[in-house]
Amino acid sequence: MKEKKKNRMPAGMRRFLYVWIALIALLVAAILFLGLSPGHSESIKEVMKDGVLHNENRVRVFGLTVNPALISAWVVSGILLIGAAIIRFAALPHFRQTPGRLQGAVEKLVEFFRDMARGNSPHRTDFVAAYIFSAGVYVFFSTLFELFGLQVVSTKGVSVALPAPIADINAAIAMGFLSYGIILAAGIKNNGLKGALGVLKDFSLPISMSFRLFGALLSGLLVTELVYYYVTLSFVLPVVVGIMFTLLHALIQTYVLTTLVSVFYGEAVEPKGKKKKENQE
Amino acid sequence: MPLNIDFVQILLHMLNFVILAGGLTLLLYKPVCKFLDERQNHFDALARENEEKARENEALKAEYEEKLANAEQESAALKQKAETEAAETARSALDSAREKASAIIAAAEKEAEERKEHIMESAQTEIGELVVEAAQKLVNETATPERSIALYDEFIRELEAGKGPTAKRNGKKS
Repeated sequence: MKEKKKNRMPAGMRRFLYVWIALIALLVAAILFLGLSPGHSESIKEVMKDGVLHNENRVRVFGLTVNPALISAWVVSGILLIGAAIIRFAALPHFRQTPGRLQGAVEKLVEFFRDMARGNSPHRTDFVAAYIFSAGVYVFFSTLFELFGLQVVSTKGVSVALPAPIADINAAIAMGFLSYGIILAAGIKNNGLKGALGVLKDFSLPISMSFRLFGALLSGLLVTELVYYYVTLSFVLPVVVGIMFTLLHALIQTYVLTTLVSVFYGEAVEPKGKKKKENQE
Repeated sequence: MPLNIDFVQILLHMLNFVILAGGLTLLLYKPVCKFLDERQNHFDALARENEEKARENEALKAEYEEKLANAEQESAALKQKAETEAAETARSALDSAREKASAIIAAAEKEAEERKEHIMESAQTEIGELVVEAAQKLVNETATPERSIALYDEFIRELEAGKGPTAKRNGKKS
């Protein structure tokens, strides 16, 4: 069988394969010969440490010295807003009863978060649905944003790739505490002091939400940093690692954050009076 | 701050996200939700309409079936009526025929009786006449003087012998 196949393969194809493999071998040999010291300005330790703390590579923008993740957040927000505006004014007027591809995707996205909000928070669904829709879209696309690897110049004059915004602890804390603040506000608004107390007893929620996001995204960032740092690891592995730590994290963290927010929101706004009456009876 | 936590940056992130959330809600979420709701309402209305139509059809069908049943019943009643009428007409015709027949028979019997009686009557008078005639004839033939005398003699003799003439006559007769 194998011989038959070999015989069947055209001569041109065989020549192409030989040349291709030879070229790859030659290039790898040359790279290895020249040595794997690409002249990193930072050691791996510094890179890892900076990935966590963002002490070194900071960006000056509008008179502020900020972490690159903030630039990422702004860029992602800008892209998402422009995209939303384009969909709103270019695509939405042409939406039909039987959806096309873009319409189907947009509808699915909105329906997914709306159904999640309805399932987890049957009362006062509208606000939390809009919130988790926005949060979900933001977490998902900002995590994927890492894959584009847009570059900015840091204060030290080095170009740095823009990371996922939530890989920065400040963004993660912002998301966690903002979500908690919204849940708390909804609890107070709907159930007064009791609602507030009900939410406050979950005081660990904002910290856990923040650090879950941060830890998940940061682990991906560190692993990818590690992989990208060494040239020998940079042949096929980044494809696998990029998908593993970016796409999966994007999906999982989006799902986890939105589910948590909607569940706690639903608990906070659930009418308390009825339960007591039922208990009394 | 530990971990390089920076409140300004946290607030900047929050501001960024709040702007993004508001924009996404206004630009994407609300209009798409509205579109979805409208479509849902549209299909709900269609479904309701269909249901109503189905119900109407059902009612019409029931009505038609009822009408059909009524018509069948009516035709059956008509048929029965016609049958009874026909039967009655036949019976009455039969009855009148029978009556007529019996009247005819009765009249015929009566006539026959009358005729018989008449015939009998006329026959009786005729017989009587015949008898009288025959008796006269007999008397006329037998009543010669000699014979009358002989009869008288015999009668006397019998009287003398002590025999009642009646007894003799009776014995003769029996």
